[in-house]
Amino acid sequence: MSRSLNILIVDDDPGNADSLAELFESENHRVIVAYDGQQAIEAFSLNKVDVGFFDVMMPKKNGVDSFMEIKERFPEARIYFMTGYSADDLLERAVKGGALGVFSKPVDLHRLLETVEKEAA
Amino acid sequence: MTHLSEKRLDDSRVLLDILDHLPTSIFVKDENLRFVYSNSKHCEIIDRSEAELLGRADSEFWPDEQARGFLDEDRGVIADGTISIKEEAATRHDGQTYRHLTRKARLKASNGKTYLIGTNSDVSEIRRRELQYKALSDTVPVAVAQIGEDGTVSFANPLFIAYSGDDAAAQKAMISVLCDQNADFPGKACKFEADIGALGGARRNVIAISSGWLGLEAGARAAIVSIVDISEMMELRRINDDVSRVNVELAGNIKRLAEAQDELVRKGRMEQLGQLTATVAHEIRNPLGSVQTSAFLLDRKLRGKGLDVENQLDRIRKGIARCDNIITQLLDFSRTRQLNCQAGDLDTWLEQVLEDEARKLPAAISISCDLGLKGIPVPFDPARLQRAIVNLLSNASEALVGQGDEPGTASVSDPCIALATRLDGAGVAIVVVDNGPGIPADILARIREPLFTTKSFGTGLGIPAVEQIARQHGGDLHIESEPGAGAAFTIWLPLPEAQHLPDQHVA
Repeated sequence: MSRSLNILIVDDDPGNADSLAELFESENHRVIVAYDGQQAIEAFSLNKVDVGFFDVMMPKKNGVDSFMEIKERFPEARIYFMTGYSADDLLERAVKGGALGVFSKPVDLHRLLETVEKEAA
Repeated sequence: MTHLSEKRLDDSRVLLDILDHLPTSIFVKDENLRFVYSNSKHCEIIDRSEAELLGRADSEFWPDEQARGFLDEDRGVIADGTISIKEEAATRHDGQTYRHLTRKARLKASNGKTYLIGTNSDVSEIRRRELQYKALSDTVPVAVAQIGEDGTVSFANPLFIAYSGDDAAAQKAMISVLCDQNADFPGKACKFEADIGALGGARRNVIAISSGWLGLEAGARAAIVSIVDISEMMELRRINDDVSRVNVELAGNIKRLAEAQDELVRKGRMEQLGQLTATVAHEIRNPLGSVQTSAFLLDRKLRGKGLDVENQLDRIRKGIARCDNIITQLLDFSRTRQLNCQAGDLDTWLEQVLEDEARKLPAAISISCDLGLKGIPVPFDPARLQRAIVNLLSNASEALVGQGDEPGTASVSDPCIALATRLDGAGVAIVVVDNGPGIPADILARIREPLFTTKSFGTGLGIPAVEQIARQHGGDLHIESEPGAGAAFTIWLPLPEAQHLPDQHVA
């Protein structure tokens, strides 16, 4: 039996963020939802986050900028990206900065759950 | 024996008749230079009857000055017995001036008297013609000369002299320059382009024409040579050639400019389209994601509860997949960013792509693979080229077994797709062949047009995207198909120059 994780979902689309939250919760994980990059940084500061799934294009602060800040403060942070289209330059920065993977939207949910399972193992 | 007088006509009346019918004017004056005889032709010239003339002197018929001249000449002939041949102008009472060649001689007659006998030949016509010829020779824009067999110039019009110079040696030299340029000149009739610039002065391109030897004078042959200056024409021709060349260059430049402008406009449009598509992709994929996740959760929650919603959920999943596919095609077509090319083993890469993609194709389709690049490194952008290959594979699959919600309506009994690679001229060819129904000519003509589609669920961007991707690689897309004989889509990618293979060309 895999352990329960604290998962951070960062997406400015509430429908997307909330449905993913429901999915992870149905798998017995704790989910924190942030709707922009700034909230994501705050969420990391206030919570112990095991794994994060970040959207890229978001208002206030994009996912990659927010990821870079988080990585600076929490080098161990495990973060994946989800994107509606490949914002190549941004994603290249993220992957170089230690992002663990990129999911294309709409996300392949089986692959997503597999990934979470591996993180929980 | 017959006496001479018996043979000879010696009837003086008949002789006078004969003289009257001669076409030559004949007159006789006595020692005092008064007319004692005038034949009809002479009467006609002076426009007087013989009766009016007889016993009278020239002074009574001609203007004073002319009459004095005639008188002086007549006196000389009578006094010395010399024969006078002289061209004379005589102005008649009606104002007409005639030119005559007048011959005069003294006759000491058998009656002991001395007479002056004369004839007039009308040379007005000859002189008129001469003036015409002179005017012609002076004004014609052609240099004309008469050349003897020894090359000397016996006549030259002013233009010829202007070209050659005035002295005989220079004229002979110019003829010799022409002789050097044509073996027939001047003895045989000929016409040729020549250059007489060697004689100094302005360089002249000319057309030289010779009549060939003519028997112009007894015992000697001569040729009439004409020289037409075509320097201006040649200069015009050179200018015309220059202008034509510049025009061609200009047309080329304008064409390139127009192409560059079109390309800029196209790029601008593509960039706009790229931005629009990226925004739309982002905006649609987010809600699509939430629909997908929600459908996934619904499926989990309702499974096993006997609510019979599997069909509805399946439709949602397929709808999502179709929307996602449309967005992917839009993104494929509208992406304008720089390629991220790496030289790699295209065959190995293709094998992997085919393995991944084959799983997604309907099981009825058999897939074969014939890769022949022998590990030669090919520069390509894997992410982009994969989109092109995927597009070609799904296109072929749809041609074979239909598409959308109803796969399985196979158009042939043994549907198959063959993927092949080979070296092709200065590049490599990736060929995707299907044994489907083929593409009718009218559709083949439009298949590269963006948004052109024959499918109920097509965006019409699949093939344009493949072409776009090939061209972004510096390559191209070739499509061959005949109805009933399947279709072959060939992506041709260039190799770096160092890897060009000689003697192989794109089919």
